[in-house]
Amino acid sequence: MTAFTRGDRVRVRPAGKPGHVRTPDYLKGRSGWISSVLGHFPNPEDLAYGLSGIPARTLYRVGFRQPDIWTGYEGPAGDRLYADVYEHWLEPEGER
Amino acid sequence: MSGVHDIGGSPSGPIDRSQHEVEDWERLADAINGALGGKGLQTTDQHRRAIESLPDYKDLGYYERWTAATEKLLVEKGILTQAEIDEKAGELERRWSGS
Repeated sequence: MTAFTRGDRVRVRPAGKPGHVRTPDYLKGRSGWISSVLGHFPNPEDLAYGLSGIPARTLYRVGFRQPDIWTGYEGPAGDRLYADVYEHWLEPEGER
Repeated sequence: MSGVHDIGGSPSGPIDRSQHEVEDWERLADAINGALGGKGLQTTDQHRRAIESLPDYKDLGYYERWTAATEKLLVEKGILTQAEIDEKAGELERRWSGS
């Protein structure tokens, strides 16, 4: 059971988090969609500190429109960017 | 609040695309990392975290970051002490300088 399924609209949580994070800053606060569910993995943000990383977190491939990420994007409007993002970094689009 | 390494998409100057041969100490740094991983003393997640938290991150080259981060982790885990590392480094430096 996962919080999101393929096609769901999601937003990357905008909040900062101190320490080791696996979500790049340029995606924070950006909206996209679930492209695929990649599986469940021990949380690398905890593993980085020698912790167990359990419970495992769901990892998704999330799609973004490039013009939604970069201000003044000059490439083709149909350009996409795909990034692997853990569930705890995602929220349903619209939620705040 | 993003880390010093987390600069994807940030404005940048020209990119230095020049190449250099891999040096022996860099191969050694890679090998030590592999050995520590093989013995279960260090993981890639831990190493990445240590690299990102180096205070002089921006001044260091790729494998300089690797070795500095490995040193930090070994001390953090109590496998070596900073004094032991400094003593050995001093010994090697003296040997290489021939004094």
